[in-house]
Amino acid sequence: MQAVERRFPVRPIPSTRVAHMMSGSARWVLGGIWAIVCGAVTAPRPALPVDFSRDVQPLLARRCIACHGPDTQEAGLRLDDRTRATAALDSGATAVVPGDPAASAVMGRITSDDPDLRMPPEGAALSAAEVAVMRDWIEAGAEWQAHWAFRPVVRPGVTGSIDAFIDAGLAARGLPRTPEADRATLLRRVTYGVTGLPPSEGEVRAFLDDATPSAWEKVVDRLLASPHYGEHWARHWLDLVRFAETNSFERDGAKPHAWRYRDYVIRSLNDDKPYDRFVIEQLAGDELEEVTNDALVATGYYRLGLWDDEPADRLQARYDGLDDIVSTTSQVFLGLTLNCARCHDHKIDPLPQRDYYAMLAFFHNITPMGNGGDQIERPLFEGPDARRTYEEKTADLERRRDEAQAAVTAVEHRFREALQREAAGPAGGDLDDLAFRFYRDAWRSLPAFDELKHEDEGPLPGGLFDIAAAPSLRPDNFGYVFTGFLKVPADGDYTFSLDSDDGSRLTIDGRAVLEYDGIHGEGSPKTATVRLAGGRRAIRLDYFQGHHGKGLTVGWSGPGFERRLLSAVSTAGRDVARDLARAIRAEGERVLGAEAMRDYNERVKALEQLKKERVSVDKALVVTEHGPSAPETFVFYRGNPHAEPDAANRVVPAFPAILAPPAPAITPPAGGRSTGRRTALARWITAPDNPLTARVIANRVWQHHFGRGIVRSASNFGLMGDPPTHPELLDWLAGELVAGGWRLKALHKTILMSRAYRAASTGIPDGLARDPLNDAFWRFDMRRLTAEQLRDSVLVASGAFNPKMFGPAIYPTMPQAVLATQSRPGSGWGDSPAAEQARRSIYIHVKRSLLTPLLADFDLADPDSSCPVRFTTTQPTQALGMMNGDFLHAQARRFAERVRREAGGTNADQDAAMVRRALEVALVRPATDAEVTRGVALIDDLERTDGVAPGRALELFCLLLLNTNEFAYLD
Amino acid sequence: MRDAHTPAPRAAFCRRTRREFLWEAGASFTGLALSGLLDDGFFARQTHAATGIPFANPLAPRPPMFAPQAKSVIFLFMYGGPSHVDTFDYKPELYPLDGKTIKVKTKGRGGERSESRAVGPKWAFKQYGACGKWVSDLFPYVARHVDDIAFIHSMTADSPIHGSAMLQMNSGKIQSGAPCLGSWANYGLGSVNENLPGFVVMLDPTGGPISGAKNWSSGYMPATYQGTILRSKGAPILDLAPPDDMPLEAQRAMLDALRETNTAHLLSRGDNSELAARIASYELAWKMQEHAPEAVDLSRETEETTRLYGLDQPRTADFGRRCLLARRLVERGVRFVQLYSGGAHNDDNWDAHGDLVKNHEFHAGNTDQPIAALLTDLKRSGLLDSTLVIWGGEFGRQPTAEYAEGTGRDHNAFGFTMWMAGGGIKGGVSVGATDEIGSAAITPGPGHGNGDKPGFHVKSLHATVLHLLGLDPNRLSYFFGGLDQKLVGVEHVEPIRDVLA
Repeated sequence: MQAVERRFPVRPIPSTRVAHMMSGSARWVLGGIWAIVCGAVTAPRPALPVDFSRDVQPLLARRCIACHGPDTQEAGLRLDDRTRATAALDSGATAVVPGDPAASAVMGRITSDDPDLRMPPEGAALSAAEVAVMRDWIEAGAEWQAHWAFRPVVRPGVTGSIDAFIDAGLAARGLPRTPEADRATLLRRVTYGVTGLPPSEGEVRAFLDDATPSAWEKVVDRLLASPHYGEHWARHWLDLVRFAETNSFERDGAKPHAWRYRDYVIRSLNDDKPYDRFVIEQLAGDELEEVTNDALVATGYYRLGLWDDEPADRLQARYDGLDDIVSTTSQVFLGLTLNCARCHDHKIDPLPQRDYYAMLAFFHNITPMGNGGDQIERPLFEGPDARRTYEEKTADLERRRDEAQAAVTAVEHRFREALQREAAGPAGGDLDDLAFRFYRDAWRSLPAFDELKHEDEGPLPGGLFDIAAAPSLRPDNFGYVFTGFLKVPADGDYTFSLDSDDGSRLTIDGRAVLEYDGIHGEGSPKTATVRLAGGRRAIRLDYFQGHHGKGLTVGWSGPGFERRLLSAVSTAGRDVARDLARAIRAEGERVLGAEAMRDYNERVKALEQLKKERVSVDKALVVTEHGPSAPETFVFYRGNPHAEPDAANRVVPAFPAILAPPAPAITPPAGGRSTGRRTALARWITAPDNPLTARVIANRVWQHHFGRGIVRSASNFGLMGDPPTHPELLDWLAGELVAGGWRLKALHKTILMSRAYRAASTGIPDGLARDPLNDAFWRFDMRRLTAEQLRDSVLVASGAFNPKMFGPAIYPTMPQAVLATQSRPGSGWGDSPAAEQARRSIYIHVKRSLLTPLLADFDLADPDSSCPVRFTTTQPTQALGMMNGDFLHAQARRFAERVRREAGGTNADQDAAMVRRALEVALVRPATDAEVTRGVALIDDLERTDGVAPGRALELFCLLLLNTNEFAYLD
Repeated sequence: MRDAHTPAPRAAFCRRTRREFLWEAGASFTGLALSGLLDDGFFARQTHAATGIPFANPLAPRPPMFAPQAKSVIFLFMYGGPSHVDTFDYKPELYPLDGKTIKVKTKGRGGERSESRAVGPKWAFKQYGACGKWVSDLFPYVARHVDDIAFIHSMTADSPIHGSAMLQMNSGKIQSGAPCLGSWANYGLGSVNENLPGFVVMLDPTGGPISGAKNWSSGYMPATYQGTILRSKGAPILDLAPPDDMPLEAQRAMLDALRETNTAHLLSRGDNSELAARIASYELAWKMQEHAPEAVDLSRETEETTRLYGLDQPRTADFGRRCLLARRLVERGVRFVQLYSGGAHNDDNWDAHGDLVKNHEFHAGNTDQPIAALLTDLKRSGLLDSTLVIWGGEFGRQPTAEYAEGTGRDHNAFGFTMWMAGGGIKGGVSVGATDEIGSAAITPGPGHGNGDKPGFHVKSLHATVLHLLGLDPNRLSYFFGGLDQKLVGVEHVEPIRDVLA
């Protein structure tokens, strides 16, 4: 047993680093057991000279900079800058004396036994190896270097190749090259690595039989051309952008059309869309000169995060939403944890709080998320013709509706006039399809109701605006939005009057006709005259009530009629208002005659038919902005959006200063829909000389092939991140990517063609002893299949697998016990037909509060925040799901049916044939005779000793195969 | 007491000799003492393979930072928000105001108001115990334990809306994505019983709370730390029971064959301890199959005990059963147990917007006796010394009516009551206070997680829980997203010192 210290250092190691320090071994130790990791870190290093970026900077960042860095300088000491670190301190001492460790105060402090003197004051003392690093570095002159990731990418002069860089690293450590893995292993590795699926038996045979020198290249090309490539690599991207199809919180409501974003990612990868284009589309696709459907759908990126439709603090929630966008964007595209500078300057990285808000300014004009509507949805057209057709159809439908309405209104008009001659006419009847939404809160002026959650809603068949409509009415602090259609008899000028206590606004056809906002009493009605076309005009009335008196009076007059009320006359209005529709039903025949009534009824029927008609169109979840000008952005003291804005804290959009960026070139796009700020950001991120973008994505591609990035903290390239194990290799890959037009498939191919990728996973004593964490890539690290790979592979083995791509999400059967944990059991979950359920896991509906248990158990990324590196845990609950769960048993049954079908063999050796076939299918390799013998013995044993029915025993054997480590792990 | 759906505890399974032989034979090739991995406590030990690569179970017990007062927590979550002025926060001045319109600032589901109709407390209060604590007639059983209880009367939360307030009470944040209190406890201390989950949640029969699984999520931590739903009827844990057509004997045979196969696979991969861990995880699952049903099997409890918890009464049987299970789980070393009183929506939980009397009579009546029984039972078995019991909801309720008619009260996050008892808690004390009608916290002054406002923020409660478990709330951190994340957030938060024994 290795002696292990257990303690909780103040500043533990980034979890991603922990994950990878354990790579190739047990990666379930994550986050929790720092001490093991510290032990591993301080294992004696091979005789590599001290390197500032690799050895010193991470140590300073982890243990010193929080108190002696950009944000805080205790004792006046700052260790992130050579001039400051080597200057005399107030105490007279000098922390770092280049070339003279003995004279450097820092050495005394880190080696002191006196708890009052020892640095760092909290957590474990520096290990002997860490102290040695500091000593050697000061001895060598204590040179600081600018942080590697903030320096421009340097394209190495040598005609590089991955293996040249890897070999150099091996040589430096005195490690041999590892032999290549055998062909079957390689094919399984690369097929999973590129497509997320196992190879077929035919593919295995073809590769094993192909003796040509280009056999491997042919495999690589074939796989990169497979549509399954996009499905598999899209999953990696979806982890990063916190893809989910619901909003979380109380209702966890569905995001409309979110699946199109998933399909967009799959398609973009399969099309090998250049990465710069991919980034621009997601960040600013709506601002492109030519806005394609892809570009629109891509901007759904902004809408994928958490959204509380009923926040306790609306302003705070708004900035939490923007924080999600700043965090995700800076981590995913740039590898910067800019989110750490929301409340104060970044503790470690040179990112002042101003940088955070200057980045936020790029997004400040984005409209808030909603449940639907133009703010987050836009129609998609296959081309200009489709758009024209849609617009024509829509116009035509509206015209027909208007005509039908006019025909109905004309009869009603006659009826009303006739009735008025007899007695007092009925009120109402001028508004059609009227409905209300009821809100509760305290306001001083009309809020943007569309961004709020309504408490109640319903129809108003009486056709009058009625502030007593909501069943849960209360005296104070409420609001209404009424929407419907105004039945305008004919083209002409109409005069509207509006009086209210408190504020109100009347909108017709999207234009505010009358506004009477604020807190006030009734008695001074406002009037306005507008020209309206005959037919059905969309009408909307917003109203709010604060305290005390309340009321609402709306009327109109026009050609041929005097002022008529559109509102109920009192809070008991629903009882008073007589319903025109009811009146005409009761007395129409008497007043107008039977013929006219028949005609009227026909016309009403035709109108109702037209009202139901829709011009069908696909829509996308999109980002929109409030218009061409953005609100001012301020640095918030302690990140508090309620802090009083201070002119001195005003910021304009800007890129992080440490990267010495240009000023953003912001041009509002034509059309006046948005500011152009996001385009400026996207252009800078994808500029060939951006030091981070290409490194970050090249590292991610490497990460998913090798199980860990060259930079292990794949979304943190800052000082707290892990230094690259092969910095020159990373720069070379980044440089190649940009030079090759940002084509990811070319990058994949470069990596897959390397010898490093084809290395065996076998341990060799030298490697295990001198580089147990495989920093040098002396072998290929084994890894477990991801949650989705595991589920998909089970489907492939059973033969149930349905390769259908794209479209709305699927709903695998969710165990009742899991549905029962919802506050409305079953809410928001469907049950797809069996064939649909057998599709790849990427198509499963991602509901934030109801993750598929089997996937969650196998370390699915939590969709609430960006996930650059998944955990790999090993837990007994996984075994329970794999041995006892419904899904596995159902698939094992299908698997057994398949085996029976395909096994062949005579009666005498039927069992052996079936066992052999099952082994071949599950493990995609020939079975050994010993394995077959053991399998037959097990089946025999199950049937004879354990009382299992004959057919069932084969199913259980199939289940067992799906549980083997060989099935679940890649060499 | 075992009902027909509960699998029988499997006392012994004896036919393993032949396979054990195969297993040992397989292990001898690997150079790994694999049989040792399956000893009791394998998952509780940090160990490493012969090649020197360490691995360990993230739930392995870890020593606390300092001497703990409590080893386990039972959180009785009164979902929906019980009214503090009708239960434990005695407000004599509120009674005479009943029906009068009073000026008071409130914020709830129905927005902000500055005046409303007062609703007097609907129950009488009496004094109990040596400490003379006033408790309403809703909780006559719990009232007998006041000398063991510390009441915190000035709790505050950031949100008066269920969804976000639930998340905050469970995870410290009003947004989802952060680990829950139970996750932090297990992250900090691990679990001492590898056969049971370390963080167990038992839901109300009417359904889960709003936001469902987000209330026991491990957020950005590994799934290892998430809460496991334990059902009081049927198979207690999802997929714990093998299907009927896979008898235990057959399953054991399969597990042995699987182990054999995996051991052969491990032969040439001996340095990969993850593979060995996966082999062991199947044995552990097997043991869970045996032990988890035993933990929920109440047939060995005495009749006196089951009556104490009210299992013989229809009103109290369900919550009583879950309280008794909580004791059994804590007894078996489960670190964090959470029970929900109330589920689903509206009057299925404590969310008394309409008829306060009907709602609270119902929920208090279902839970009072079981909660008191839990305290009694823990105390007489000595477990109360090391078990922290927490009672409360995500917020309290207003002193005023919500609607024009009726007794319903809206949500109140400005001031509400929670109580704690057991490990490390000073009994018979009440700390913090709301104003004379219970509308908002007034003491203690600023400095308790509340910025410049008075009262004890939810963070103070969380800090107290971690402190009692021997974990420094301001040092227990998890690195995520470039930050050292803490349950209590960035600013320093003190435990509530006055409730500590």
